[in-house]
Amino acid sequence: MKRTILISALATIIVSSILFNSCSVSKKMADKSGAQLWAENCARCHNAPPPGEFNNDNWEIVGRHMQVRANMTQKDMDKIIAFLKSANN
Amino acid sequence: MGVGKLYPHSFKKQKMNKIKGFLVILPFIATMSALHAQTKDTSSSSGKNKFVVLGNAEATYTASKGESSFGDINFKPIFLWKISDKLFVEAEAEIETGDGEVNLGLEYANMCYMVNPYLILHAGRFLPKFGAYRGRMGEAFINRFAGMPTGFGDGGIGAMNETGVGAEGGLPLGNIKIDYDLYISNGPQLLTDAENAGQFEYEAYTSNNKFSAIGGRVAILPFSNSSLEVGYSFQSKSKTGETGTSFQNVGVLMQAVDLNYFHNIPGIKSTVRFIGELKHQKVDNAIYQDADGNNLTFNNSPTSYYASATIRPSLVENKFVRNLEIAGRYSYFNKPTDAPWGGSNITQYEMALDYWLNWNCLVKFCYLKQKHESLIFNTQFVFGF
Repeated sequence: MKRTILISALATIIVSSILFNSCSVSKKMADKSGAQLWAENCARCHNAPPPGEFNNDNWEIVGRHMQVRANMTQKDMDKIIAFLKSANN
Repeated sequence: MGVGKLYPHSFKKQKMNKIKGFLVILPFIATMSALHAQTKDTSSSSGKNKFVVLGNAEATYTASKGESSFGDINFKPIFLWKISDKLFVEAEAEIETGDGEVNLGLEYANMCYMVNPYLILHAGRFLPKFGAYRGRMGEAFINRFAGMPTGFGDGGIGAMNETGVGAEGGLPLGNIKIDYDLYISNGPQLLTDAENAGQFEYEAYTSNNKFSAIGGRVAILPFSNSSLEVGYSFQSKSKTGETGTSFQNVGVLMQAVDLNYFHNIPGIKSTVRFIGELKHQKVDNAIYQDADGNNLTFNNSPTSYYASATIRPSLVENKFVRNLEIAGRYSYFNKPTDAPWGGSNITQYEMALDYWLNWNCLVKFCYLKQKHESLIFNTQFVFGF
């Protein structure tokens, strides 16, 4: 039990430190639009939902759900949400 | 004289079934109505605390030699609650008809804290990312077949639902991306009864001892367009048996590799997808007892895998044609020969013709052939999120 917790904690710390300090996105990736990220990432598992499918509130909620389920970065998901909401405005 | 007086027991049962059926349908109707209403509203509220109910529903018709029937109805409302920009809760209930009664279960209730753009901490009951089938590719509106590959459903192997805490996220590194998950949970519980000796309860709500499992998944998306994902998962628990029994120290190590690739090919105006996954688990040796009270021991190292391919002419102009999809799947389950739940291995071949009514709604027409078994035809209607 103690060994498990120790290994887990250690791994979490290592991963976290990598996350905090070493994340580097190429310009090509950073410049991707919300529309492009929407098309690429939704299709990893399922058909991409059309932008008019939900209202703005629900896109925010659905976006967080998919961030968890699909290991999306928050920056990418924020771009996708902004794109999907833009269709409602 | 009414039917109820002639057959009071039967009538009461029928009435109860109707009530149960209504209870199943009611939330479905409510959800669909709410969903319809919500999609019409394009306003954005100012508050941060937001809630929505979505979900999945499926109905299946099965026909095989000398037998045909409408099968289980499955309805899974998903409750999503965004408390703030940092806090998020997701929960899914599962209501299904099976064995002549309505079963209610909690698929997951997962509380998440968004630490930073690349790290999410979560706690509760969750779908562990063990492989990519469970919780993702196996969702009814994503799975192109009416059933699961052999070894991936009930009676199969590999982690399914966990209760514990974890960390997950995505890491952009140049043009590639790394997905990661790491968790500590109650883990699986070893079953020792004569019928299931050496198998596990993968969906227990509580723990059977004081020991925890550790697990996780790392996946790489090597292409900048995220079209390829290759993952490795593991889960280890050193003690899986019930406290105080001779099985307490039986450990298990589960591992899985998964692959998912999709690509639009303009030349044939189609989207192709290849998915595969292999799961293996190694269980420590133990001495069980069979139904006659005799000692039973066996090499407990089952393996299951599947590979599937789909093609959809999604780039053609004709709407009917572009909503069609053809899929094929091969799956195999290698079970311990001497286990009471083992015996011969299972090989399955499946073909499906699907029609997409909406981005999240499809009708499936599937043929399943299992070695030494007769051909089975399944039709399934699925609505999902």
